[in-house]
Amino acid sequence: MNMIRLIAWREFMENVRTKGFWVGILLFPVMLIGVVFLQTTLSRATPTRYYLLIDQSGQYEQAVATAIEREHQRRLLQEFVNYLLENRKEVNFEQTPVNTTSAVDTLIEDVDADEVAALDQWLDAGGLNFALTMASPYLRENAPAFTPPAYQFVEAPLPAAVNRDGTPTEIVEALRPYLTGAQQVSVNGRSGDLFALILIPENVDEFIARPGPVPTTGSVSAGIQYWARNLTDSRLPDAIAASINSEIRNSEYIKLGINAEQVRTVQRTRLPVRQLDPSAAVGEEAVSMADTFRQYAPMGFVYLMFVSLMQSVQYLLSNTIEEKSNRIIEVLLASVTAGELMMGKLLGIGLSGLTTIAVWLLSFYLFINFYQSAQTELIGEIVAVILGSELIPWFVFYYFAGYALYSGVFLAIGSLCNTLKEAQALMMPMILIQVVPIAMMAFVVLDPNNTIVRILSWFPLFTPYLMMNRAAADPPMIDVVGTTIVLVLSIVLVLWLSGKVFRLGVLRTGQPPRLLELLQLLRSKT
Amino acid sequence: MQESVLSLSHVVKQYGDFTAVNDISLNIPKGSIYGFLGPNGAGKTTTIRMILDIIKPTRGEITILGHSSALDVRTRTGYLPEEKGLYKKMKVWAIIQYFAMLKGMEKKAAKQRAWTLLEKYGLKDFAEAKVETLSKGMGQKVQVLSAVAHAPELVILDEPFSGLDPVNQGVLEELIRDMAAAGQTVIFSTHVMQHAERLCDQILLIAKGRKIFDGSIAQAKATIPRRILIETNSDISSLRDIDGIREILRLAANPVTGNAGQLWQLQIQQQVNPQLILKTCFDKGIALSRFEFTEPSLHDVFVHLVGDDTREHAAR
Repeated sequence: MNMIRLIAWREFMENVRTKGFWVGILLFPVMLIGVVFLQTTLSRATPTRYYLLIDQSGQYEQAVATAIEREHQRRLLQEFVNYLLENRKEVNFEQTPVNTTSAVDTLIEDVDADEVAALDQWLDAGGLNFALTMASPYLRENAPAFTPPAYQFVEAPLPAAVNRDGTPTEIVEALRPYLTGAQQVSVNGRSGDLFALILIPENVDEFIARPGPVPTTGSVSAGIQYWARNLTDSRLPDAIAASINSEIRNSEYIKLGINAEQVRTVQRTRLPVRQLDPSAAVGEEAVSMADTFRQYAPMGFVYLMFVSLMQSVQYLLSNTIEEKSNRIIEVLLASVTAGELMMGKLLGIGLSGLTTIAVWLLSFYLFINFYQSAQTELIGEIVAVILGSELIPWFVFYYFAGYALYSGVFLAIGSLCNTLKEAQALMMPMILIQVVPIAMMAFVVLDPNNTIVRILSWFPLFTPYLMMNRAAADPPMIDVVGTTIVLVLSIVLVLWLSGKVFRLGVLRTGQPPRLLELLQLLRSKT
Repeated sequence: MQESVLSLSHVVKQYGDFTAVNDISLNIPKGSIYGFLGPNGAGKTTTIRMILDIIKPTRGEITILGHSSALDVRTRTGYLPEEKGLYKKMKVWAIIQYFAMLKGMEKKAAKQRAWTLLEKYGLKDFAEAKVETLSKGMGQKVQVLSAVAHAPELVILDEPFSGLDPVNQGVLEELIRDMAAAGQTVIFSTHVMQHAERLCDQILLIAKGRKIFDGSIAQAKATIPRRILIETNSDISSLRDIDGIREILRLAANPVTGNAGQLWQLQIQQQVNPQLILKTCFDKGIALSRFEFTEPSLHDVFVHLVGDDTREHAAR
């Protein structure tokens, strides 16, 4: 035992002393935090987009303006909800629609449930000014003032050379240099690219599509023309289509003698769908945000497990190969038994892996506590919910089980190879095997007790990942107990076999053995 | 009979059809310096690995310090493998301490011992350096020290001299003598005969896995006839009548310096007095331009016993 501790300690110190170890450890949280900030910054940094509207029909100019204002209000509402989430007092993630008490929670819930309806309500109630008054009692003290986002879509004046009354083809030809970025439009003294041209031809009403046989108007110029190089940002065309369609429907109602106001009221009627959890206690069936976090938390744990295990086995492999290639192994084997050496290595490297996780958690904790900001507070609350859940014991068990299983395999590989290059060829299949549960991660959260997932969970190399992944979804007892038994038995078998391979492999020189040779090795005694 | 530290009895190691070690038996007394000699690939390293129970013999028995497995007495043995290597990132003193601790020494005592050894064998200035900064020879010295730091009763060094410069070879010889003087038994393998000749009380000579010779240096030298080298242009056939001359060989002339006369090698029996042969030469009127009587070196023994295809043909 003394010898195992000595070897483990040396392995641990050897890893912990290298710069690479710490760079690797600290890179992960830095990247994580960086990604969070980058996303918020990027979403706010979308540039102002200039559009040009030419309505030759004279009917829809107002509808387009409404559409753009509505799109702006939608963004305002979204930003405001985010602002509320970050700045309200006493975040309570256990809140559900059923036990909601505050107007703020109602607003957040409504946006979550039906954005269009919530937007109508928001506009009717008076938009941002009303919302600020409504929310102020629920905000925490020293909350920063809400800065509304700037208008993202701004109308550009028509360039002087373009004739508003020309044929659509002429207009498009005249504006093409602007649309392709060769020329810039100037708005209020600032010049910029023209993002889009919305061209509504005079005869546009001829192309209104009605239910019935599909009309045969295949021409590109049929209907409203939306010209833009950017094909991915569909907010503007979507908003315009929605707004103009509602305008057309309005006029249809009038033509048919239907009260449009009544129709709109009817359209806004809705019945909420409550998400309820049958496995929860009576009275707590409603699904809260915390429940959702807990549902998705396993993904985080699976990912943490994957990153940490990959790092650990990497160290295990390179340290073993170092000892093998410079023959230290011979001195070691004259001093300790192969079993002691193996156990010492497994413990030492395992300790390095735990250090990694501890440093990650610590840096996370420090970041949340010492970098006060709305985001970190939110993350802190989420972490608190996750740490308070019953997932932690699962993670601890599957982490150690996964480590024992994979390190056994990798140690055997390391003992058969003389160079990292040789080892990489043998490692490849093992890495690919681990990619399977990682790739399935998101799918498993959505459908944790799917038949395929259940079957794959019984494969011991997948068990730690998949069962961790399913942990929040109360997997059937047979799966939990059965896979655990199979897993533990495989760990015993793998460690026993790799102990054997290790004893035989470490003194081997030359090429790693072929599969057949390996089997012969395993059959021979000692 | 002296107390035996290590004995091998009919030890055989086979890898498939290949027999690496074939029926080796030997007995090593306590406190001796024992040399394993043999050409490359003779089976020295395999024998050493079997002695340390790193690999198991196919047949035969090994008794080490009174036990059947070296693992039972591993704190009492020290081992330097043939291929040298150390943990590159560790400090010199720490690596000696680590290996001493693996051999059961207390942490504090091991550290103290490491510093004492480094000072004694001229490495004190490098004690705090990392192993990767050392030259190959220095690293090898550190490794030797780490193998013997726990003052083992039995030290086994596989090719300890290879890669060392003459000064450090001398330091290592001194270390080996120090250990023997302290009552430790030292076994080392080499294919450089001079070291064995200077150091060993006893040697084992193996080739192609077989034991060729096992005994003291004097006994080894006795296995080949003593030789007298003479240079003359006279007829030497009259020398053939002397009792005790076993063989007369005609040697080729030195191609660089050339020779005044023909070179002959006289192989004489153990009990013959060289004075008698010199006297006979005078009596018979053989004009000598050279008369050299030398004890055979271990190198001669090695070449003689292991076989040397370049040997000259017999003169008669």
